Amino acid sequence: MTVHELRTRHDDSKRGDASDGAVVADQVGGRLSRVDGPAKITGAAKYAVEQQLEGLSHAVLVESTIAAGKVRSIDTAAAESAPGVVLVLTPDNALRLNTATDWLGTPPPDVPYCPLARNITFSGQHVAAVVAESFEQAVAAAALVRVAYDETPAIVDLSDAKAGDGIPIDAMTNEWGDAQAAFAAAPVRICAAYNTPREYQAPMEPHGLIAHWQGDRLTVWEPSQWLDGMARTYAEWFGVPFENVRLVSPFIGGGFGSKAFAYGYGAVAAMAAKMLERPVKLAVTRPQTFTAYGGRAATRQTVALGADAEGKIQSIVHRGVNETSVDGMWVEPLGSVTSIMYATPNFSSRQNVVRVNTVAPGALRAPGENPSAFGIESAIDELAYEVGIDPLEIRLRNYAEQDPEAKKPWSTRQLREAYAAGAEAFGWSRRSPEPRSMRDGNQLIGWGVAAGTYPVRRAYGEAMVRILADGSVEVESSSIDMGQGTYTILAQTAAEVVGVRAENVVVKLGDSRYARAGVTGGSRLAGVMTGAVHKAATAALDELVGLAISDPNSPFHALQANTLVVAEGRIKSPRGEGPEVSIAELLASVGREQIEAMGDTMPANSTAEDRYKNYTTIATALSHTEGDYSRHSWCAHFVEVRVDQDFGTVRVSRVVSALDSGRLYNPKLAESQWKGGIIMGIGQALLEEGIVDRRHGRIVNNNLADYLIATNADIPDIEVISVGIPDPHSSALGGKGVGELGIVGVAPAIANAVFHATGKRVRDLPITLEKLI
Amino acid sequence: MTSKTRIPIHLQINGHRHELEVEPRVTLLDALRDHLGLTGTKKGCDQGQCGACTVHVDGQRVLACLTLAAQAEGRAVSTIEGLAEGDGTLHAVQAAFLEQDAFQCGYCTPGQIMSAVACISEGHAGSDDEIREYMAGNLCRCGAYPHIVAAVRQAALEVASSMETAS
Repeated sequence: MTVHELRTRHDDSKRGDASDGAVVADQVGGRLSRVDGPAKITGAAKYAVEQQLEGLSHAVLVESTIAAGKVRSIDTAAAESAPGVVLVLTPDNALRLNTATDWLGTPPPDVPYCPLARNITFSGQHVAAVVAESFEQAVAAAALVRVAYDETPAIVDLSDAKAGDGIPIDAMTNEWGDAQAAFAAAPVRICAAYNTPREYQAPMEPHGLIAHWQGDRLTVWEPSQWLDGMARTYAEWFGVPFENVRLVSPFIGGGFGSKAFAYGYGAVAAMAAKMLERPVKLAVTRPQTFTAYGGRAATRQTVALGADAEGKIQSIVHRGVNETSVDGMWVEPLGSVTSIMYATPNFSSRQNVVRVNTVAPGALRAPGENPSAFGIESAIDELAYEVGIDPLEIRLRNYAEQDPEAKKPWSTRQLREAYAAGAEAFGWSRRSPEPRSMRDGNQLIGWGVAAGTYPVRRAYGEAMVRILADGSVEVESSSIDMGQGTYTILAQTAAEVVGVRAENVVVKLGDSRYARAGVTGGSRLAGVMTGAVHKAATAALDELVGLAISDPNSPFHALQANTLVVAEGRIKSPRGEGPEVSIAELLASVGREQIEAMGDTMPANSTAEDRYKNYTTIATALSHTEGDYSRHSWCAHFVEVRVDQDFGTVRVSRVVSALDSGRLYNPKLAESQWKGGIIMGIGQALLEEGIVDRRHGRIVNNNLADYLIATNADIPDIEVISVGIPDPHSSALGGKGVGELGIVGVAPAIANAVFHATGKRVRDLPITLEKLI
Repeated sequence: MTSKTRIPIHLQINGHRHELEVEPRVTLLDALRDHLGLTGTKKGCDQGQCGACTVHVDGQRVLACLTLAAQAEGRAVSTIEGLAEGDGTLHAVQAAFLEQDAFQCGYCTPGQIMSAVACISEGHAGSDDEIREYMAGNLCRCGAYPHIVAAVRQAALEVASSMETAS
């Protein structure tokens, strides 16, 4: 992408806008405004399917209208003769593709892959596609495709009588002590079931792609959280070398976990493009985004807490279930927060998955931690009332001083500080403990608290840094920016290391031709990439200074200095003696066009195969409990709700959250991400629910008017407080995860506030009015 | 395709006249994005539910996905590409969005900004609650709402003060 320089009416004070006065905005930790912002606010930012290509044709998907059974026949005659139609794809004429390796790196079975189904396992499955000269023609012709089915009974969801108990996932079993016996012996016991429905990522940019073959080389413009992973998938599907596939994704209109993989519709578009020998655009429609890939699986949990009379936990017994698809396996790790949030001598967590007729569920912001926190953070609140102590106090009484599961010290855990800072800013001490004891006219007021956490996922990364002849710096990586601020924090990192202004750094992302990058998921990208850019930029700076000292044509050659400093794009001796020249002048004097350095955090003895595996699968990701520490980010949410006592409508009127993401590379952007997570959590708590038509096993609210996400009018002002400290065990520059943390714990904080307001404990999300009246 | 299936239309977009031949069923949104290369206006749902395609027609905010291109014949259409001044000087709303970090992924942003400009000119930016209500038709999944409110509030004050100066 190009960073557009635009004049603003007001000086936006790029310098001096620092969070603590000590950090200039240009450097790591500064509050630099997004460098890709000007492109986004002027309409200049080109998202993937907005590329204008000569000869572009348009594909539209035809989806199954039954949830289980077989396609008996597909009548394509009317569609084929419709105006402008150039191809109708069905399993009968589809190219034979290979099955691709999964994201874990598991070698695929040697069976062909067809993205168009004959055996139907969920409603909304792709069964055919129509390609036409224009989008309108393709839409019209797709409606003419007639599909006949032999329908069989479907298992519509977890509550279906046919669903059964599911499959135990042994890898999820996690036990220490004797949890059952300790629970039975505990003086205070609570046990309850907590449910979350199907939820959807619903990024504002729907999925889609433009696929274009030139010989056996494929270019795909597609919004992507993982260019190298998706390039591998396309390459394997079509049996071409990895290097022959180029993924381009300069801007991503939101992902939230949904844009990390190549899905069936991508195979359809690339196949059509190959067959037609012309570029094909396939824009997934908004309704199709509910079934073209999976959202968060519906979950069920039972949490049993045994405690002593003072509320000290003696035992946690946790059982979880999530749905998965008929032929796919998705495990939403429901015990992930349960096992680490509180100290307990006895613990047991087990999980089953249940196959139902749905698209394979996938990742949605904090998969696992999010529903897990809803269970344990609701349960601890129930225990607080059972024992008769403050919900904040019970959390402190059970504070885990080390990781209870890994039995290792935390790298950093500023959760106690988060409770203190959040409580102070919120005014928690003024809370009246009894439910229904605070009101404002007809509104019942409730104050609730809950904690959240997310593991620090780490990986190896690489980046290319160039110091160019004009003195500017260029950073290249095939990582991406979907709004987290990658362009900006990498510019800050390179600017700080090399010693130039951030405005003189151009960051290029979102093209798989650049230095490789693993998945942007699990809140890992910022830590991985700032580390890689820091390393590359340091190497580039070292070479620059080395040249300045030793090159016979350098103005510094006679100085015989040991080192030089670079600041504001100018080079000088640290003691101020001798000449001072710009980077551009130095490069000119020594006759260099540019300095180029690749930074790579892979172990030194890594082979080419290791690298390929590292960037195209998650097989080499580092455990958050590897080595001596357990690494997590932490937060505490304090929420005020107002519930209409007659109608049961719930409004969130105030949120204060204190969060520990370690060091923030750019507080301005991190705060935005935290707030975004909190807002998504408000939607999850009060609005979001995929509703299944039980007759047809179909999601009926597959659009943005019926699948409710929070609107501006649903959201109050939100205060976020950073309580993190640099964590050297988590990343090169001391940061921990930001993007997913904010949502974890929001839904239980709201449920707890609703209980405080009304005396009603809602254990099924979302908390809708019929559950309160 | 025969010429009978297409109609000639003239669109006045950001002060420039465009002539094109499109099928009558082509929406203003697709005309902008696919036929004129003005991709700043975004397609988030194509069903009038998300607000990403908000443009101004004769100064009123409308959803380009629910407007046929032919309906805009002879009317003044303004899109995000035409909001900044010719020399690149940002509109007060654009500058405030950047300063307040009122967006993340940027996909809803053109629609938010076009809505915000209208929200201010309609006189619906009098309080934070009023801004929230009159900006509620523009969904933002990244959750930039509090910053959008701050940006609209800031821009409304600047627009008001510049109008005062002008008068």
